[in-house]
Order: sequence, then C-alpha cells, then structure tokens
Amino acid sequence: MTQRFLSQAELTALVAELVAAKTRVIAPVRAQDNPEQLDYMPIQKLEEATFGAQVPRRSLKEFFLPATEVLLRYVQTKEGVEIKAAPTEAPPFVIFSATPCDASGLDVVDKVMNWDYKDELWFGRREAATIVSFLCAAMDAVCFCTAVGLGPDSFRGSDVLLVPVEGGYLAHIITPKGEALLKGKGKEEIPASAKAAAEVAQSAAREKVEANLAKIPAEFAGWLAKNFDHPLWKTLSLRCHGCGACASICPTCHCFDIVDEHDSSNEGVRRRNWDSCQTSKFTLHASGHNPRGSQNERFRQRIQHKFSIYPAKFGDILCTGCGRCARACPGGMDLPTIVGELMAMAKAEPEGGSNL
Amino acid sequence: MKELQDLARKLLSEGTVKVVIGYEEGPRGARAAFITDPEKADKLIFDTRCVQNLASYLNPRRKQIALLGKPAIVVKGCDARSVAGLLRENQITRDSVVIIAMQCSGVLENPGIESDVELTSENVSVRCGGCDVCEPKLFDHYIKSAHPTVPPVNPKRAEQLAALEKMTPAERWDFWSKELSRCIRCHACREACPMCFCVQCTADKGTPLWIDSSSTPRANRAWQTMRVLHQAGRCVDCMECERACPEHIPLGLLTRYVANSVEKRFDYKAVDDPSVVAPMSVYRPDDDEEFIR
Amino acid sequence: MSDDVERGTSTATGAWSPKIVAFVCNWCTYTGADLAGTSRLKMDPNVRVIRLTCSSRVNPLFIIKAFERGADGVVVSGCHTGDCHYSTGNFYARRRFAILHDLLGFMGVEPNRVTFSWVSASEGNKWQELVNETTERIKALGPFREFQDMTQKGEACQ
Repeated sequence: MTQRFLSQAELTALVAELVAAKTRVIAPVRAQDNPEQLDYMPIQKLEEATFGAQVPRRSLKEFFLPATEVLLRYVQTKEGVEIKAAPTEAPPFVIFSATPCDASGLDVVDKVMNWDYKDELWFGRREAATIVSFLCAAMDAVCFCTAVGLGPDSFRGSDVLLVPVEGGYLAHIITPKGEALLKGKGKEEIPASAKAAAEVAQSAAREKVEANLAKIPAEFAGWLAKNFDHPLWKTLSLRCHGCGACASICPTCHCFDIVDEHDSSNEGVRRRNWDSCQTSKFTLHASGHNPRGSQNERFRQRIQHKFSIYPAKFGDILCTGCGRCARACPGGMDLPTIVGELMAMAKAEPEGGSNL
Repeated sequence: MKELQDLARKLLSEGTVKVVIGYEEGPRGARAAFITDPEKADKLIFDTRCVQNLASYLNPRRKQIALLGKPAIVVKGCDARSVAGLLRENQITRDSVVIIAMQCSGVLENPGIESDVELTSENVSVRCGGCDVCEPKLFDHYIKSAHPTVPPVNPKRAEQLAALEKMTPAERWDFWSKELSRCIRCHACREACPMCFCVQCTADKGTPLWIDSSSTPRANRAWQTMRVLHQAGRCVDCMECERACPEHIPLGLLTRYVANSVEKRFDYKAVDDPSVVAPMSVYRPDDDEEFIR
Repeated sequence: MSDDVERGTSTATGAWSPKIVAFVCNWCTYTGADLAGTSRLKMDPNVRVIRLTCSSRVNPLFIIKAFERGADGVVVSGCHTGDCHYSTGNFYARRRFAILHDLLGFMGVEPNRVTFSWVSASEGNKWQELVNETTERIKALGPFREFQDMTQKGEACQ
C-alpha cells in the first residue's frame, strides 16, 4: 500500500487520457431530472463529474450485474440448435469518485458470486474495472456504513482512495490495478501536512457517521437466527408495499430471475433479470404454496439474509450502510432505525424472546 | 390533530376497530402508522407532509395487515377516491372499514422532516391545484382542518403535458423511449398503487407471455402502456407510482394524461362516491366515434 | 409464416411493402371482408386478417404485439354500434379504443398507424376501401422502424 499526491490538473489529465484511449470512464454526475441528486454516468471530461458529494441515487451494482443481461442466444436451424453464450470478458473501464460504501459492496458480493459457482459474467466485469473511490464526507442522517463494519474511508473494493487535501488529493494506492492506473502520475513525496490533513479528514468522516448507528456486534447474527419466530416480525413490515425498490438500488442485493424470451419462432435469448425477495411471488411454488406468504415473512427474510445468514456464511454483513433503501422507500420503511431497534432488543434480551 | 387522536383512541379502546391506519412522525418525516394500542393514538399526525395514499393498505391480500383486524383509515379527499374505487370494485365491503376523512389544504411534492412547511406554488404537490375533494364526502367521521385554505397551484406538470402535446409523434416517441429506458421492471409502481390489486398481473403471465419481464425497450414500453391503460377510469392520480419509482420515471405524466382523456371523452372524474359507476364499465350510445372510420 | 421480424413484405422487385395486421370481428367485418373477396374486389395484399369473436375481444396487447412482431400498421374492425352480435360488445370496445388511441398517440405512435373502423357484413366495398386506403397511408408513413428496432437483436437498455 503506497500513497501519492495528485493535483486537480493531473486528475483531469488522467481522465482525458483514459477517454482518448477509448476507456469508459464513469463518475457521479448531476441527475438530469433533479440536479440535487447524482447518478453514476459515463463522462468525457472530469469537469462533468461531481466529486465527494452525497451518495448517487443508484449503486455501482448495475455496472457489474445489469438490470437485465443476456446469458445466451439460441438459434434453431435445420441442422440443430446453435447456442451463443455471452462473452465473459468486458472492455476495461474506470469508475471515478465511487463512494467507499459502493466500492465495498462489490467486495462483499464477490463472496457469493464465487461461492458454489464462479459467476464469470460478474467477475469479467470486476476484472475489467478499476475503481477510484473518494473519501465520503457528505453522509446524512440515514448513512450507517461504520455500523456494518465498513466506513467512509474504507479500502474494500477500491483500487485507489482519494482524500482531498490542500492543492489536490492524497491517493491511497490499494491494489496493483491502482498502481497501474497511477503509474508515473503525481508525486511520491507527500508533504507531512497533507498526510496529517488526510488523517484528520478521514477520522472526522468516520466520527460523523458513527454517530448515526452503533457498530453491529458480532452476536447480532446469532440472535437473529435464534429469534426467527419472535412475534416482533409481525410488527416491522406493516407499511412495506413489497415493491422491491429497496432491492433495486441496494449495492448488495443480487438476486436474479432467469427467463427465456423469443424474438421469433426460431430465435431467442436467455436473460437474467433483477429480482427481489420482497415481492409477493418470489417464493411462490408451482403448487400454489408460498412459504413466505405475507410481508412479515418476506421482510424477515431481508433482515435475516443481510444480517444473519450472509455473515454466518461469508463473514460479511450483506449491507454497506449507504442508506439508499431508507431514502427510496415509498412506504417509510427505515432500515437503519429498524436495525437499531433490533439491536436494542438483542441487548435487552440476549437469550431471545418467545421462540416457540 | 387532537380531534383525530381522540377519535382514534376512542375507536380502539371501544373495540370498534383493531387498528387505525394513519400517519405518524417517522425518523425522516411523516410515514404510515398502524396504531393498535389506544395509548399510542397520540402518535397520529396530519400535516402537509402526509402525501402517501394509505388506501393500498386496505388491499385484503396484504395478509400482514388483515391479520390485525378491522381497520380505521385516515384519508384525504384524494385518497377517499381510492377507497371508493376499492368499494366500487368489491375488493372491500363498506362495513369492513371505518373511514376517517380529513379536510385537507394540500400536501408537499417532496416532504421532508420539517413539519409546518407552508405550501407555495413551487413546493405544493402538482396534484393539489384545483382540488375539488378538499372536503371528502366518503367517511364515517369527518375532521375539519383548523385553518382550511385552498391549495396553491403548482403548474409544473401541466406545463410538461402541454410541452409534450406540442411535440410531433416522433419527438414524443423519443421522449418516452428515453424515460422508459430507466425502467428496471421492479414493479414498485404496481405494488404501491391502491388500484393494482390483481392477484396475477398481466405482466406476470408466462403462458402465454405477452410482456417480457426484462428491462428492455420493447418490454418496458408494453408494460407501462398496459399498466396505465388498466388504470383508465380507475386511477385517482395519487402519484404513488411516481413516488415509488426508484428510477424517477415521470409516471404521473402518463396517469394524468389518461385521466384527462377519460374526463374529456366520458365526462368522468375520479370521485369518492362508490355508487358512481366507473366509465370503462359502461357506455353511452352516443359516445364519440370520430376516430373510427 | 416467415420470420416475424422481417420488415414488411418484399414485392417482386424487392421493394418494401407494408405489413398490416387486421383484428376483425367474426360476425360483421370478417363476413364483409369475405364478401369483398367473393365479389372479386381488387385489394392490396398487405393486410393479414385475424378473426375474433367480437371487436371487444381486442386487448390492447394484441395491437402492441402486432407492432412488436413487425406490423407497420394495425386495423381493428367490428360491427357498427347497435349491430353487435353480442348486443353491447362494441359499445364497450369503443370506449376502450378511444383511450388506447389517445394513449398510443401520447406515447409517440403516429395516429395513422392504427385504424379503427366499423364494417358490416354487407359492406364488401367499404372493406375494400379500408384495405386500400390504409395500405396507402402506411406506405406513406414507411416501415414502423421505431417498434421494429426494439426487437432484441441488440442489447437491453441498461
């Protein structure tokens, strides 16, 4: 792990170089329909981007797991059926000023994508991407990245982390990809004042978001599992519409549905599309039985998967604390508040409530 | 608000209802409340942040709510029209719900945490201008506003519709192609809509597959066209669809356009009277057929 | 039927000729079209007829699907109001078609691509006129590239 100092001009030049080399560069840009919001969009010049501001509306997920993705194309001819699988290699691209929560989310999801089966489409894009994160200092009351073990200056999932200092940026170079991106750029000698300023900025950011929600203790996952049948699940999700908007903008939700679609009588595609366990038909069996027949069970699944099952399997909470779910929910479901309430319950009743 | 809280307390402690569905103060502003304990009735609020149409919670297929028992529901006039729609289409019976109607002076387009925000023509919801249901007629209990006022008019949506009307078909095609390209087929619009209560939606049918479930230009267009068509004469323009959409697609333009078309052609506006028949279930022998050769 | 997404129909010279799908009611329009045929009335060959029991059987999805599968124009035709074989079908259909007509236009479909008509069993001549006039109109509009370009030969939106 090394550090380097980059000026604004050098950063601008770097982007220009990438664009000239036909590398796709993605950065947060003011949304067209609402200039107060940001969206991750391709840019041609660094000036188009807005750095270090609030988390963009949608996560980076769609650049690695698109909302819809062709897995294969089939063509039936007189000779038989020809199948063309989607290429797993992706052209290189660079993401500038990712929020650390979004970059970390990718690292967290990597685990399930390489679990019982290596998802070559996901990893093809992961390998093609170089991610430059930016110290987050624009957290609001809904952010809680530190509570889930991450943070506004987390290195996870990033190749470079930029911290704004006087005259430019202190770049933490985290991976060989980051090294390759910044090769020959910037200065290796960094003034001590800049290093100190960066540390101050980073710990201030952490303090700010730590105030929102206490760190989730390791025992929480076990408590949730033990209290699977607790009556509390009957009260948490009354206002939830089961719309799945939360899952769509979540950096770590990754469930998908596979469908076959015909273009004509002898040709078509197999696709995978985003899906969500919050929708009523997610666990509907062909027999008509639905083990998660009401929103109570479905919301319980959301909490259990993110805060109990995934940690038990992979050692990570399946959440980056970005707060998007709470911001997007039309029904007023507030995950950080709910998790806070559950943590309080776990503290008050460590052995669990009625668990028949 | 005190009158509302007192009423809720009374209804719950007397056992008339088992839950009062209304609004309460949440961590980020007003949100739906499900009050089952009469002691908690003072959590109920009603102010310009109470945008959400709560009628979708009356859908009997929302088992987790049905389990609570007979509800009372707090409605604004616009929401009362949704309740009327559910009654009209036999999704609920009149005696299965106690309706608490609030006299409303308008709500915010983008409510936040701050309460007592005064409405201006810039921050008021685009639906509120020209409201004729400020004093709802469908209710078991009616609560007057302390300071009733006529809501200001936010011209934004009418301007957008006028601009669209001036475009050529090709320009409109491009406009909607661009807006609908963001549709990720999450169907949040459908789930949030009080009138989208079908157990099996036309978009969920696989055999035959009329509308692909993928987020593609052709499927997105088919989905949004059909959803808004299925809402013709039923939609009350509460804009829950647009509020729920995680991609911020201006669905309110589609719903308002169809509502305007229904009004122009069949002289029908959404009403909070369930005995008024929905326009697409009836006809008049002299309905306009100028567009038919 | 040949590949659904083939654009239009080739004439002998290979030039584009429109593909028009007509959803017609069995009792009036289909019989009227049959009459046009038995009377040997000269009609452009571009219209493919799909027979339904009643004009009110027409689901807007049929029209959308027809465009998706390569139609350049769609015709919907049934009995004149008052003459519906099921008494009231076409009255309800008329209301539905009115809203559909408005909405399609609002979403950018050239209004002349969808033609609604009432053709009775005895109106062989009207059917002939409808076919020929609609074909001319669609020829002038050209192939419905916007819909056809959306077929999934390429990538998705996102």
